[in-house]
Amino acid sequence: MIQEYDLVIIGRGAAAFSAAIRTSEITSNQASIAMIGFGPIGGTCVNVGCVPSKYIIEAAKVVSTQRNPRYPGIKQSDPVVEFGKLMESLRGAVEEERKSKYEDVLKFYPNITMYEGRASIISRDTVKVTSKLGEEDIKGYNFIIATGSSPMIPKIEGLEDTGYLTSDSVWSLNELPGEIGILGGGFVGLEIGQALHRLGSSVRIIKKHDTISRGIEREVGSELIRALENDGISFLIGRDVEKVYQRGDKKIISTRYKGKIEEIEVDEILIASGRKPNVAGLSPENAGIEYSDKGIKVNDDFSTSNPLIYAAGDVVDQKYRLETLSAREGAIIASNIFNHSSKGINLQEVPWAIFTEPQLASVGYTEDEYNRNFGKAVVRTIPLVMVPKARILREDIGLFKIVADEDTGKIVGIHVLAPYAAEFIIEAVIAIKNGYTYNDIIENSHIFPTVAEGIKLTSQSFTRDMTKMSCCVE
Amino acid sequence: MTEKKVTMRVFGMTCDDCVRTVTDGLEKQGADVLSISLSNGIAIVKIDDAKISAENLIKAPVFGEESHYKAQLRRVE
Ligand SMILES: Cc1cc2nc3c(=O)[nH]c(=O)nc-3n(C[C@H](O)[C@H](O)[C@H](O)COP(=O)(O)OP(=O)(O)OC[C@H]3O[C@@H](n4cnc5c(N)ncnc54)[C@H](O)[C@@H]3O)c2cc1C
Repeated sequence: MIQEYDLVIIGRGAAAFSAAIRTSEITSNQASIAMIGFGPIGGTCVNVGCVPSKYIIEAAKVVSTQRNPRYPGIKQSDPVVEFGKLMESLRGAVEEERKSKYEDVLKFYPNITMYEGRASIISRDTVKVTSKLGEEDIKGYNFIIATGSSPMIPKIEGLEDTGYLTSDSVWSLNELPGEIGILGGGFVGLEIGQALHRLGSSVRIIKKHDTISRGIEREVGSELIRALENDGISFLIGRDVEKVYQRGDKKIISTRYKGKIEEIEVDEILIASGRKPNVAGLSPENAGIEYSDKGIKVNDDFSTSNPLIYAAGDVVDQKYRLETLSAREGAIIASNIFNHSSKGINLQEVPWAIFTEPQLASVGYTEDEYNRNFGKAVVRTIPLVMVPKARILREDIGLFKIVADEDTGKIVGIHVLAPYAAEFIIEAVIAIKNGYTYNDIIENSHIFPTVAEGIKLTSQSFTRDMTKMSCCVE
Repeated sequence: MTEKKVTMRVFGMTCDDCVRTVTDGLEKQGADVLSISLSNGIAIVKIDDAKISAENLIKAPVFGEESHYKAQLRRVE
């Protein structure tokens, strides 16, 4: 007999768990839920995304501060990095997080049944789960597709034969590559690149364009590249990778640069060319669901073109791919289904960050975007050195930029490159969400001295000349 | 008048009091409650489609966002 569930969730990452837990809360654990997935439970974030990347970044920071003490009088030292041990501890941390935040949590929800396998949609109310054990059909009254995304592998001659790492496989390394070439330089490449560089690899980021990726405030992106170059990472910009091959025990990345062939010799290649939605083999078209190579098309309430089927997280065709966003979408969908509501998320109020050092954190419109859409942005940018705490930290690369509406003074975007930026961008989120003006920001007392004060100082710069201000002027 | 038999899945009922609250909530909307099962959460009601549709019945205040109870349609005949 075919099992029938109140809710069938395809996927078992952040979006799926969030949807399942919220559904359970709303229905007092009475909705029967099937969760289908393969690979380690918890999906990308805990296993191969946020958790291991932030772990290695923090470890690499420790090495970097010892190697480059910021203050005169503190002697530089060269810590010995036992990379194998570090990676073993990283994998241990991932396992612990997966156990405590995913596996153990399931015990509280007897209404959730896990299915191991790959799902493909058969019809509006049936999916087929294929596993080593065979095939099984499952029926549901409600469906959520939360199949996530995977590293996009560019079509480059010789790549498959030469071998490469991705953000899925880099965590199983036990030996630090001496020289590493990173193809593409989105946030994943920059974060992992800086960490490996600080642990001792020589890192070259090979890119076509001089921007980090679309949608980043230009000045902030270029300042981040400057900061990373200053840290010791090489950016090889304007390169088209033509082929890759093995020469002895080296990997050769053959690029075209200014019309000539330029060969780059490395020990390892890391592909960081973005991510693709996991729709292969899923057959959303069998339920009338529209999708493209950017992901599943959704309406404001995350319903798909089949109004009875929803989609959440990285598989959705949307501007950001973030753990927090995926989880919020899962929770909102659960509420939309069981409360019969139609809530959405305003992406202009969703912050995102690159956890390099300094950190890039951003929310809302860039200057260009606002001008393109509304034609009337007014902006202010201050360099990080204007912030007293940054001078105490002896950090000089970074900036704060605020984009506001020219007529109302309401803040519509804040973009920061600074130490701890990811920790304090929430002030910007609250400002944008509540329609605050730069004057509203100034009227809130900020702690002195903090890097976060940069947001207040930038707000002040809309109406005052910051070079004439003493450090504590309110 | 078009009479319809509506089968719905009601979530959140844990005791006989809950069954009473949900029954009251449905009757307030003009539904005639034929049966509500605490064990499987299935409610069967009769409605006059001209007065309240099945789609609106599951949005009744007793199933509202703040309420402990939620409902979904399973069959309308
Ligand atoms: C290196 C890296 C670092 C990151 N750092 C951050 C960060 O610091 N902060 C942040 O907010 N975000 C970060 N992200 C992004 C974040 O990890 C993702 O946005 C998030 O994990 C997406 O969750 P999801 O539930 O949509 O998909 P996933 O977590 O990818 O889960 C998808 C699930 O679907 C399953 N699946 C796929 N296809 C099928 C199928 N056909 N049938 C059944 N199951 C299927 C998979 O097995 C998996 O369990 C990072 C990502 C990477 C790669």
